[in-house]
Formats: sequence, structure tokens, C-alpha cells
Amino acid sequence: MSLDRQPTVIARTVTRLVVPLILVTALALLFQGHNLPGGGFIAGVLTVTAFALVYVIFGLDYLEAELLDRNPGTRYETESGIIREYGTVFAVGLAVAVGSGIAAIALGYPFLTQAVAFVEPLPIYHELEVASALVFDLGVYAVVVGALLTILAEVGSE
Amino acid sequence: MSADLAVSTTHVVVAPMLAALVTAVLTLGTRRYDRLQRVLSLLGIGAYGVGVIVLTTRVLSGGTLTYQLSAWPAPFGITLVADALAVFMLALAALTTVAILIFSVAYVDEEGQRVSYHPLFHFMLLGVSGSFLTGDIFNLFVWFEVMLMPSYVFVVFYSGPRQTAAALQYTVLNLVGSALMLVAIGGIYATTGTLNMADITRRLADPAAFGIDPAPVLGLSAILLLVFALKAGIVPFQFWVPPAYRAAPAPISAFLAGVTKKVGVYAIVRLYFTVFAAGVVDGGLGLPGLSGESFLAFFGPVLFLMALASMLVGGVGAVSRDNLDDVFAYSSIGQVGFIVLPLAVVATIGDHSFGAAATDLQVLGVIAALVYSLNHAVAKSLLFMVSGTVFDAADTIELDRLGGLTTRYPVLSGSFFVGSLALVGIPPLSGFFGKLLVFDTGGQALAAGAPGAGLALAGALVGAIFTIAYLSRAWTKGFWGDVTPAVERGEQSTVLVGVVAALALVVVAIGVGFDPVYSFAEAAAEAALDSEGYVDAVDPEVVAHE
Repeated sequence: MSLDRQPTVIARTVTRLVVPLILVTALALLFQGHNLPGGGFIAGVLTVTAFALVYVIFGLDYLEAELLDRNPGTRYETESGIIREYGTVFAVGLAVAVGSGIAAIALGYPFLTQAVAFVEPLPIYHELEVASALVFDLGVYAVVVGALLTILAEVGSE
Repeated sequence: MSADLAVSTTHVVVAPMLAALVTAVLTLGTRRYDRLQRVLSLLGIGAYGVGVIVLTTRVLSGGTLTYQLSAWPAPFGITLVADALAVFMLALAALTTVAILIFSVAYVDEEGQRVSYHPLFHFMLLGVSGSFLTGDIFNLFVWFEVMLMPSYVFVVFYSGPRQTAAALQYTVLNLVGSALMLVAIGGIYATTGTLNMADITRRLADPAAFGIDPAPVLGLSAILLLVFALKAGIVPFQFWVPPAYRAAPAPISAFLAGVTKKVGVYAIVRLYFTVFAAGVVDGGLGLPGLSGESFLAFFGPVLFLMALASMLVGGVGAVSRDNLDDVFAYSSIGQVGFIVLPLAVVATIGDHSFGAAATDLQVLGVIAALVYSLNHAVAKSLLFMVSGTVFDAADTIELDRLGGLTTRYPVLSGSFFVGSLALVGIPPLSGFFGKLLVFDTGGQALAAGAPGAGLALAGALVGAIFTIAYLSRAWTKGFWGDVTPAVERGEQSTVLVGVVAALALVVVAIGVGFDPVYSFAEAAAEAALDSEGYVDAVDPEVVAHE
């Protein structure tokens, strides 16, 4: 991003405010996704919009230089720096999603079978729903975040 | 999920898919460790092969197996159905892809393998296996997509201008196809109220009981046929085939031509002979040339024209190409015509006016298509890998610059010879029985008085002559004659030639030991035509319509 066209103060301020909100909304969608509208996919897409906003407003290197406090990797190099980490997120997410399906087989149920348990009594919450589908959703979430950010960062650097 | 649900937990049904899926994830995770990645990839394809063998023996000895993913009962959950037809196709895929992957490890350069080759390969295999096993029509769409996405990357794998152009055309065309498929499936869901293929079959067989109208399903299934024809590269949807096969790495061309195309063929057999065959439109359509009331009677003439056109276009195209890959790509178009032709012939006689003989003839026609598919899968993969080996050694596959390969590389040339003769249909190779069964179907249909059977025989004959013409042309121009400088310079890779020679032996073995192959194909064909057996095996719960 060239220096002579800085985004306005308004844009930067709004981004600062909005990014945490987007991330919290995304997490809410992720955790309710197994039986309410939401889920790993849409939560992942929403998370990526937060990242996209940071990329658009603050530039491609901001995330690595300012937030992670390290030297940004050389651009145009695909297997380096943060792009490589996005790839890892993708691979780990896929492994988690597949693993959650295989766990059902290990317990003697068909592939991808899910279960749910209610933990109660709990203070304030009264009861907590622990769904195994959440693990699968987490995997999907990581796949979506990893894949979209790889595309974003890679295409963005060209 | 409570265990009292009557769901089967024969995990062997899902084993081939899991092998491919887990291997894809593992090879993705080990991208930075080249050797480990390759070892895992090869172990994975081995596990896939073992899974398919175990599943095949279980199905052939104990009958159709079903599996409810997530333990949701049919028709609500996704059903996997491993009947003889599905395992026949899986066996075809396993046989071919094991050879292709070993070939790939030696053929594709280190950088290419590191980037994404192995995960994509296994994802494509996962898509193929999923398509064969699924008993849910929407899930079929999903597996088609899983299969196609890696293939887009593979077509653009070498990232040159030619590859990019081919990939753009290939991707756009397939996306349009996928969109149509989704629309058609949505329509079928809206009309029949179910996505489970066994449930659709049952409802179409008795539309009044379920309060559905079969007529729209006929139109929607016609849209689906276009999509499958596109995937299988049947005329008039053949034009993407040559550029895509030429752009992709040789082992991937072998995969696309040998296995991925057969998914389109499988979908035609499964959906039109098992599922939609149950449908009848009262009073017929009343269009010229389309008599009869069953769905199959409508699709027969359409498939028939497409098959004849494929054989001609493929044959004429292949005769005039100057490049091994192009010859094989056009040949693929023609050969798919041979696969579809017996299906078309027996679909036209599907009408009950031919009596009990029709059933036997239908079985014969599907056997012919399956045996020919197997022959084409092995022989065409073999030929594409020969082309890859020639490119690896001589750096060119232009027929003008090749010559004298027989003197320089006798084993490689011998394998090409075996593969070509298999496509031509010389005994005792696998292709002889494929051709024999195709002609037998045509002959018996002619004897039974089926309309157009004579034309089918004539078309097959012309197609066969074209096959002889283009393969002998490739042989004389590329393999015989004086050794050209390009051929003189090169050095052949032992592994590549080894894989190719091994596949050539498989071609011979299928032909020599044809008896078990025939029984297997017969079981598969009977399963394909046994709509009631398919419904009984899945046994979807009856949901009362409102």
C-alpha cells in the first residue's frame, strides 16, 4: 500500500472498534452452530472479514509487523511467513474435522456420529450443552479461516 | 445417538473413502518433509487398495452392504451403498490409481510433488470413491465437486499459458455443469420429496401412493444426463477433453481418462438404470422417435445418438492429431462412445414389448459397458503413462519428432503395443472381450428386432476401424522407423517403464483370466438393474405424505 493514500482516521478508528465485535460475533456463531443458525463455516467467513478489514485499512504487513511483532516475510514467496502459518491452520483444521469423525468409529458408531451431553448444575449457566459436533465445527472453522486467509494474503501480495 | 437405532456399523463400507481422506490430510500436514510425504502417500494408496479388496470380497460373498453416516437412518441421513456395481467401479479405480500414483512419484518433479500433488491426488480419489458409494443424490453432487476441484488444479499444474487457457475453459464448463446439476437435483427433491436414491426409486415406482408426478422428474433427469455426459466427455460435450488432457501432467491425464470419466459413466448406469428406470410417464411424450412410456425408453435414443457421434468425432479427431496426448484424448472420446453404445441399445429395448428377453439383454448391455470401462481404464491409463514416459525420456511427444522408439526402448514400446491392441480389441487382451460384448449386445438386439440395432453395429464397426487407424498411425510414426535425435539423446526411467510394463501385464491378465472378471461384471450389472434389491438393501423409512 503506497504511503500517499493513507486511509482516513475514520476508517482506522472504525476498524479498531469493529474488528473485536466481528470476532466475538464469529465465536458466538461458532459455539451455537450445532443446533442454532451459525456453524463453523459462517463463523470462519466472518473471522476472515475481520482480517480482510485489517489488511485493507492497515496494509498487508501490519498484521505481522505490529501485532505479531516480527519481520514480515518476503512477499511473492508463497511458502514463507504468515502464509505458511495459514496453511498450517488449514491442515490442522482438516485433521480435527476428520479426526472427530473417526473418533465415532473408534467408539463403535458410524463415521461422523455425534453425541451431546448436558453438564448441570452449574452456577449462573445452570446447564451447559457439550456437543461433540462442536469439535467438527472447530475443524471446519479452522479450514475456512486458513484457506480464505491464504487466498487473501497470497492474492493480496500480487 | 442411541445405539438402539437399527443402523449397520460395517465400517468396511467407508474404509476406502477414509483411507483416501486420511492420506490426503496426512500428506497435507507433511508437506515440508518430502520423503515422509511420499511414503505416506504410497502407504495410503496401499491402504485404499486393501480397503477396496476387503469390501469387494465382503460384497461379492455376502451381498449389498449399506452404511448410515452419522447414524441417521435413511432417507434422512446420508446412505452409503456398496453393491456389486459400486465395488466393481471401486476395484477399477483402485487398480488404476495404484499404478498411477507409483508412476507419479517417479514422474512429477520434487517441487511439484511438494506443492500439492499428493493431497490433491488423494482428494480426487476420495471424490471418485464417494461418488461410487453414495446412495444420496445430493451427496453425489458433493462428491462430484470434491473430485473436480483437485482436477482444476491439476489441469493448470504446469502454469503455462496453454495450461491456463485449458484450465479456464475446463473450470468454467464444469462450474456451469455443476450449477445445472444442482438445479436438477433441487428440482428432483422438490418433486419427489426425497434425496435418497433408493427412496426416489421407490417413489417413482409407485407415484400415486406418494402423491408425486413423475413427468417433471423425466425432464430434470434429462438435465442431469447432460451433466454426466459433460463429465464423461460424450459428444456434444467433448470439446474440453483434448486441451485438458494435454495440459495436465501425464499421470493425471491417465487418472482423468481412466477413472474420473468412468464416474460419469457410473452415474449414468446407476441413476438411469437403477433409480429413474422405475419411472413411467403415462401416455408417453408423443415426440417422434420417442416411443414407449418408461424413462429408459426416452433416454435410449438420446444416448444412442451421443454414443454414435462420440465414436465418429473421437475417431476422426484422433486420426489427424500429431501429438501422442491429443491422439489418446480424442481416442478417449471415441472409446466412451463404445461404453455408452451398449447402454443406449439396451435402454431402447427397455420397454416391455420385448418381453423376458429384454431383461437378459439389458444385463448383457450393462456388462458390456462395465467390461469396456474396465478395459478402457487400464489401457488408456497405460497409454497416457507411455506418453509420459516418452516425454520424460525424449522431451517431446510430437509424432514428427519421434521415431525408432522400438529400437531404443523395447519394453516401453511393447507396453504401448499391448495397450493399443487392447483398445483395438485383439484377443486375448482385455479389450477383445469388451468389444465382443459390445458387438454381442448389438447383435442380440438386432436379432430381437430392436430399432436401430443395425445402425449401432455399423457405428461400432466404423469406430473400431478408426481405432485401428489412429493407433497404427501413432505406432508407425512414433515407434517404428529411424531413431530421431530426440529419441537418441534421452534416457528412460526404470520405474516409469516398470509401472507401464506392469499395467501391460494387467491388460493381458484380465484378458487371459477373463472368467472371474466376467462374473464380477455380471454381478455388477445385475445389481445395477435390480431396482427393487437396491431399495430393499437401503430400506428407507416410509414417510407418509401429507
